[in-house]
Amino acid sequence: MAYQLYRNTTLGNSLQESLDELIQSQQITPQLALQVLLQFDKAINSALAQRVRNRVNFRGSLNTYRFCDNVWTFVLNDVEFREVTELIKVDKVKIVACDGKRFF
Amino acid sequence: MANSANTNTVPKLYRSVIEDVINDVRDIFLDDGVDEQVLMELKTLWENKLMQSRAVDGFHSEEQQLLLQVQQQHQPQQQQHHHHHHHQQAQPQQTVPQQAQTQQVLIPASQQAAAPQVIVPDSKLIQHMNASNMSAAATAATLALPAGVTPVQQILTNSGQLLQVVRAANGAQYIFQPQQSVVLQQQVIPQMQPGGVQAPVIQQVLAPLPGGISPQTGVIIQPQQILFTGNKTQVIPTTVAAPTPAQAQITATGQQQPQAQPAQQQAPLVLQVDGTGDTSSEEDEDEEEDYDDDEEEDKEKDGAEDGQVEEIHRSKNKWKFHLKDGIMNLNGRDYIFSKAIGDAEW
Repeated sequence: MAYQLYRNTTLGNSLQESLDELIQSQQITPQLALQVLLQFDKAINSALAQRVRNRVNFRGSLNTYRFCDNVWTFVLNDVEFREVTELIKVDKVKIVACDGKRFF
Repeated sequence: MANSANTNTVPKLYRSVIEDVINDVRDIFLDDGVDEQVLMELKTLWENKLMQSRAVDGFHSEEQQLLLQVQQQHQPQQQQHHHHHHHQQAQPQQTVPQQAQTQQVLIPASQQAAAPQVIVPDSKLIQHMNASNMSAAATAATLALPAGVTPVQQILTNSGQLLQVVRAANGAQYIFQPQQSVVLQQQVIPQMQPGGVQAPVIQQVLAPLPGGISPQTGVIIQPQQILFTGNKTQVIPTTVAAPTPAQAQITATGQQQPQAQPAQQQAPLVLQVDGTGDTSSEEDEDEEEDYDDDEEEDKEKDGAEDGQVEEIHRSKNKWKFHLKDGIMNLNGRDYIFSKAIGDAEW
């Protein structure tokens, strides 16, 4: 099973909303929507693993950290994300990271 | 562009993921007895939401492709208009094949030679509608005006634009001035369906505007409004590019200010698909930056990860993060990385 964490991204949320709309209008069943989401999980996991090749560095101050159910959650403040091409600054960022295969 | 690397890869990656997912679920849809059309609808909804979120740049969709086509068609036709404004018959015929069906219906009604007709350079609508001998009824039909509003007079302004004065049932006179209607029409028409009258929009458009109404000046209705309210058209709130420049033109000229209001009233309707402003204002504040993503990582090389091992280290209050395969949403925009290395002090 692929990680479901990508569902809460722009791409994943827009898919979920679209599926919800179709469910509301009864064009698809919730079960079908779930199948689509599972397929999405697979597709995004594999795409990220294979089609993305860039690196980012970041630095900031750690506000909170949590490790529960094999999931890390961090909140950082005043963070700078540095990529080769650009620099992005944010005041606050939440990182959710999945640890190992025993995510579920 | 400094961020060209990421902005190029993110839309492409998203698009490829969408294609993959849609193709993969097609079988599931068919197995469940769900029509392919629903699948297409899902895809459209998905893409639209992505576009609306503005988290991704240059995320093209069918709408944008249509816009591109329209703009490409618009320019060459403008040149034709300047030169051959009397040969309106030729032009609509040239443009007809490029556009949708309903225009073909309009054209015959309006294609009558004669009367000194000056065609507004960039308005196909005017071509159709202001064809010389257009009768009031025919014009009303082609203008798709609601009942009671009939064209009274055609006026050529100094700027070479043809104004059509229509008189509504209540005696108020409106001047119809086509601008940018070409672009809109091309966008609108493909989606036209006969018989669809949008009553609420009609009311909005025809609301009497403040300011004096005179035979020559007065309320000016933008062509796109007419199109929206026409009997033969549906309200098309999607044409993003066209209304905006049209409004800019309209508010620029002095006497058109009264009509800026209805234009703007409809602007939110028109531009709502764009979704501008609403989400970005929140994102700009940087208060909540969700670094959505995930990475597979390992602590102390525990477990068997295929591929690289990522970790999280801590030494006293110094944390080191080694993350991989993530999607970030920073300042409202999406970024993706295959590796991310970070330092933080707690």
